[in-house]
Amino acid sequence: MKDKMTIILFSGDLDKAIAAFTLATTAAAGDMDVTIFFTFWGLNILKKSRYTFSKKQNFLQKMFNFMSTSSLPITRLNFLGLGPWMMKKLMKKSRMASLEDLMALAQQLKVKYIACTTSCGILGLSRESLLDEVGEFAGAASYLVEAREARINLFI
Amino acid sequence: MKADRTLDCIGLFCPMPIVKTRIEMDNMNPGEVLEILADDPGFENDLPAWCKMSGAKFLGIEKEGNVLKGYVMKS
Repeated sequence: MKDKMTIILFSGDLDKAIAAFTLATTAAAGDMDVTIFFTFWGLNILKKSRYTFSKKQNFLQKMFNFMSTSSLPITRLNFLGLGPWMMKKLMKKSRMASLEDLMALAQQLKVKYIACTTSCGILGLSRESLLDEVGEFAGAASYLVEAREARINLFI
Repeated sequence: MKADRTLDCIGLFCPMPIVKTRIEMDNMNPGEVLEILADDPGFENDLPAWCKMSGAKFLGIEKEGNVLKGYVMKS
């Protein structure tokens, strides 16, 4: 049986997402089965568009989706988006892979995505507002079943 | 060392040289040798480490200035 790795991607920060996808793509390239469980802020990484409003959302959920978008901040030196802009620019200049590049490779290497239904419920996110690559919408038990079989489990 | 294919990863950083190596190896036949050119210094340790994970055979690394030439055989 193949070795397995799981990651809980709780953070919606650009730098942490890059770290998570660097490990995910490398593990998948090393013949491991990789599952990423996206929860809370991590769901921002999966949003199809910057703003994910829907008629079903209440006022607070709309506020939340206005303030927390797919335009990801960085952990330190964010400066209202100036930090991520500089970081992306530097990464491009040094020919480092972008988050989009890494996510495309993750798909090519069959990394599995699970989106947390509880977080989706709280934030008023529909399935349609998230990327089609999300293979499963599930909760803690589904994650733990995968994690129990995995040798590497990370919380990022 | 003689190789069946060469993969140019000059200027690329982790995880790209390893991920590209994997994708290239998927299109090769068992017994064929891949040469990978890289200048990320981490590649020197990462290539043998990746071989341990993937089961590919690590044949060695040669250095030419800043350029690392890695050799792996598909098993």
